[in-house]
Amino acid sequence: MAWNIGANDVANSMASAVGAKAITLRQAILIAGILNIVGAAFIGSHVTDTIRKGIVSTDVLNDPHVAMLGAFSALLSASLWVSFATWRSLPVSTTHSIVGAMVGFGVAMGGLSVIHWGVLGAVVLSWVISPVFSLLIGFFMFKLIIRVVLSKGDPLGVALKRSPWFIAITVFIIVMSFLFKTPLGKSLALNTPGAASIGLILAVIFGYAGKRLIVYKLDESEKLRLGAEAIFRRIQIGTSCYVALAQGANDVANAIGPLAVIYFLAKSGTLGATVPVPYFLLAFGGVGIALGIAMSGARVIRTVGSRITTLSNTRGFSVDFSAATTVLVASKFGLPVSTTHAAVGGVMGVGLARGFEAVNFAIILQIMLYWILTVPVAAATSMGIFQFLRWLIL
Amino acid sequence: MRIPFFFMFVSSPFDGLQEHAEKVKECSWAFQQAMECYASARCDTFDDHRQEVIRFEHEADEIKRRIRGHLPKGVMLPIEKFQLFRYLREQDGVLDAVQESLKWLSFRSNAGIPESVEKELFLLVDAVIEPIEELANMVGEARKFFKSFSEKQRRKVKDIIRNLRQMEHDADQREHALIQKIFANETDPVAVFHLVRLAETIGGIADHAENTADMMRAMLAK
Repeated sequence: MAWNIGANDVANSMASAVGAKAITLRQAILIAGILNIVGAAFIGSHVTDTIRKGIVSTDVLNDPHVAMLGAFSALLSASLWVSFATWRSLPVSTTHSIVGAMVGFGVAMGGLSVIHWGVLGAVVLSWVISPVFSLLIGFFMFKLIIRVVLSKGDPLGVALKRSPWFIAITVFIIVMSFLFKTPLGKSLALNTPGAASIGLILAVIFGYAGKRLIVYKLDESEKLRLGAEAIFRRIQIGTSCYVALAQGANDVANAIGPLAVIYFLAKSGTLGATVPVPYFLLAFGGVGIALGIAMSGARVIRTVGSRITTLSNTRGFSVDFSAATTVLVASKFGLPVSTTHAAVGGVMGVGLARGFEAVNFAIILQIMLYWILTVPVAAATSMGIFQFLRWLIL
Repeated sequence: MRIPFFFMFVSSPFDGLQEHAEKVKECSWAFQQAMECYASARCDTFDDHRQEVIRFEHEADEIKRRIRGHLPKGVMLPIEKFQLFRYLREQDGVLDAVQESLKWLSFRSNAGIPESVEKELFLLVDAVIEPIEELANMVGEARKFFKSFSEKQRRKVKDIIRNLRQMEHDADQREHALIQKIFANETDPVAVFHLVRLAETIGGIADHAENTADMMRAMLAK
């Protein structure tokens, strides 16, 4: 499952950077792999918690064998559905599949009453909100870039001058997400103003260091050929990392949530509601994603990265930024959202800001269709596998 | 593999728009050759040139249909979709006007051009070719603007548009000069009718080029 995520979803974070020639394919794979692991291990636990015990009531999981079977069938059915979808070229989300599969197992186990409809509702609502949220950020970010950089008389100079700001915003959000609620942040025991000031200080440092680095790395021919885009080409390396991090944080839960259930049952024989997910499991999920990226992500990135010529660096930056911010914010609330959909929302935002020569919004209808289809299909498959295994084993 | 993210990007209509403008340009050159051939007594390839113009017109038509056909509902462009279509219709109108001029000429295939008005006629022909050549340039520069959103680039396109208007104005002057000359020198009513109408249709080509520029101006509006 983690492998699948790595293979498919990585395109969202890295393809725009590779397509816009900000980084090479090899760099992309390396960066995406490392940051997925980091994001998974340090920020990912909340979402995993939601999938592990938020949607299905833990009451039904009292019998460890049943729970183990259930988690296993959920994982299997989600994997099957995603693999099938990949094979048939259907735009489905790994996130939606696993949530659907968990629901299916819960219903098979204890009927409709064991589902936490409130939590499930929040998750489903977040699927609607996340593209909209991402759309808004993407829209305003690109409008901002037009206003303060592109429409100016000397876009290159202005872009360089303002680059610390763009870097600082990105760094600030990453730092904040690290400091709040992650075990790392908790051990530092910071209050909100403290965390905010640390974030600000780091943002300023990174902003100026980043600018120095850009000035140092920029050569004359690139300046002439690309203008302001050359600056954003550098910044985009940063935002791509940001997406990979956010992706690790959010998507790892898809694979690890059910696995965590199995792990605890195997280890302790019971399933408490408060047992934390150990780092190594999260890191294991991250490694799985990284392996997926390494083994087949390259192909995906290459094909799609070269196909999008219209995604220039300023656009890519806006899309990456909006998608990553959305996903990271959602991770903070423990909501499993789809990175793909956040990225789609970002593209739509930039499109609405008239940033693309041609971008097709009709895809949103298709996404909705498969979105509505995915949850019941994954649920039904999960139910089927679960019943079969129960009959077979118990 | 089908990743929704990438299926959002469809082929850009600007490629087609530029291609179409290039076709219009090539067509105008073929038109010029046809005119020269018609005026010269020794040239017997007028029909070939005319067929060439017709062929260009067909190819341009195909490009036009392709642009329209590849913009499904829900596609977001830097400009309103219908603005783009109106622009395309005007740019296509240039071709129709070129074709119309040659058709009118072919109705009196052996008459030739009286020496007394030949100079004025070719001044007019050159005057309408010029703005057409500028169209492709305009599309290219406008496309750069929609990519960079730079104010400098926007001014550049606006300058081209202003230029085009001036060219149309010049072509108008030439048309009037030619018609005056025709009435001053020709006495055969049939020849006068044919030539005056010819001057008007050729002058109309420049009008379409100017309309195209106006449509572009509307697309640039903030």
